[in-house]
Amino acid sequence: MDGSHERALYFYVTIVIGLIVAGGLFLDGAAAVGGFVELQLRPARLLNDFFSDTGVGAALINAALVGAVGLVLVAITQVRLSGPTIAAVFTMIGFGLFGKTPFNAIPIIAGVALAARIAGKTFSAYILIALFGTALGPLVSTLAVEIVPGTMGIFAGIIGGLLVGILLPPAAMAMLRLHQGFSLYNIGLTSGFLGLFAAAFLRALTTEMPAPPFSWATEVPIPVVLAVPVLALSLIVLAFVLGGGSATREFLRIQELPGRLPSDFLDMVGPAGGLMNMGVMAILLWTLVWILGAPFNGPVLGGILTVVGFSAFGNHPRNSWSVMAGVLLGTLLFRVAPSSPGPVLAILFVTTLAPLAGEFGAPIGLVAGFIHLAIVLQTGSWHAGINLYNNGFAGGLTATLIVAVIEWYQSNRETLFRKDTE
Amino acid sequence: MKRREYILHLIGEVAHYILESDPMRMVISLHQEEDGLHLAIIDSVVRSEEQLAKMRSELNTARRPELAGYYGSMAGSDMLGAARLDIIGWQVKHGDVTATSSGTKIDLWLGGDRFDPERFSIPGESGG
Repeated sequence: MDGSHERALYFYVTIVIGLIVAGGLFLDGAAAVGGFVELQLRPARLLNDFFSDTGVGAALINAALVGAVGLVLVAITQVRLSGPTIAAVFTMIGFGLFGKTPFNAIPIIAGVALAARIAGKTFSAYILIALFGTALGPLVSTLAVEIVPGTMGIFAGIIGGLLVGILLPPAAMAMLRLHQGFSLYNIGLTSGFLGLFAAAFLRALTTEMPAPPFSWATEVPIPVVLAVPVLALSLIVLAFVLGGGSATREFLRIQELPGRLPSDFLDMVGPAGGLMNMGVMAILLWTLVWILGAPFNGPVLGGILTVVGFSAFGNHPRNSWSVMAGVLLGTLLFRVAPSSPGPVLAILFVTTLAPLAGEFGAPIGLVAGFIHLAIVLQTGSWHAGINLYNNGFAGGLTATLIVAVIEWYQSNRETLFRKDTE
Repeated sequence: MKRREYILHLIGEVAHYILESDPMRMVISLHQEEDGLHLAIIDSVVRSEEQLAKMRSELNTARRPELAGYYGSMAGSDMLGAARLDIIGWQVKHGDVTATSSGTKIDLWLGGDRFDPERFSIPGESGG
């Protein structure tokens, strides 16, 4: 990927962020700005749909500004805007609709920067951990507005964010080795692991830990519903502008890749194919949610945006369909409505396990999706909703189990020496 | 990361890559100096020019600190999927791949910012 392609990507992502802000102002006017300010000091634990908390406009402005924090950091640290950083920025925008705010994200980013200094590394080496690590933003918000009273709460939240940010890099690298890159949301597993400790401390410090808030918007304005098809179309048009006729060929080459971490499709194959893959995934996911009859609210749009981002960094239709089908099969067996909050988010975010299907085939993907649904419906309460990437946590656990079994089976079935096969 | 651990990770990943071709012979040679090191891996697999070019390309990828600092820690520790030279490429100063009379030789140069592979001395080799 050359410099002109990267400049085009910067321009495109900046336009997307700008349009989200404009959309927020168009929908709710000045009330959107007030709602955005209010969001900074509201509880942020799962599952908290900002659309229903402070209105769609405020949520859109918040999401855009959380994404802008990520994009500015990528620019400042001069790392390449490519597969992993696009995935990070899209994930931040998506989760800005249901949990992340600039207030709860920045202390964690600062904590990771401190960890880099402690380890004698540059911040650019840990930038991905910092951006994805904002999954633990609800810890900052919980300390600030739910646990510690008054202005001391804000101070406590910032300290909590800094501390957990320092712990993220060592934990993330250890978690990566557990599933060997077969779960795309490694920081989800990491944040879930750290969230267990954080939740335990919070429960120990409080006489009664407040129950996680729950909100789930069911009415969404039509322009917001149509935002994903428009995004998909713009990605596909940009793919053809950058790559011309090679865009389709590159897209087809991407379908042959397993997608295991780290698979930067824009670098490995080409930016045009990567962008087309993002656009195709966006339209497929939007259609699936529409067929299921789920609302295009904050968490659902957040899920779609995250998977679209990761379609530059591991996801494509060929490695994703079977894990999603596994979750759908699970909803039939467990008798839960696929359009209800937990299952519909699992159908989107289970694509964290796509590399398992990409490497070992669709049957393993089906099994992985099925196991994922069973466990993700439980894991949220383990960390008290502090880890926004709850599906990443469950997916990481599922991938670790499956990888362990496959590794054990293969290492015992394969012959050690050539003569053994004769 | 300790120097020894770093070297072990890289040797593990490159050995994984070589062993996927099931060679009859693999030789790993390490030469260390104060500010850098040279790792040479020789095997008995004859590869096409296209394969050699792909290996060179993967070992000499653009500088990616964000990937090296995080995903680089996977080098040598994941044995289930295919081995990947780009994970090594993000972490080394330079990589050469050449065909020998009976196989392939991979040269990896590692070192700090001031490390210059051109001035690296290996006994018995010129220009190394």
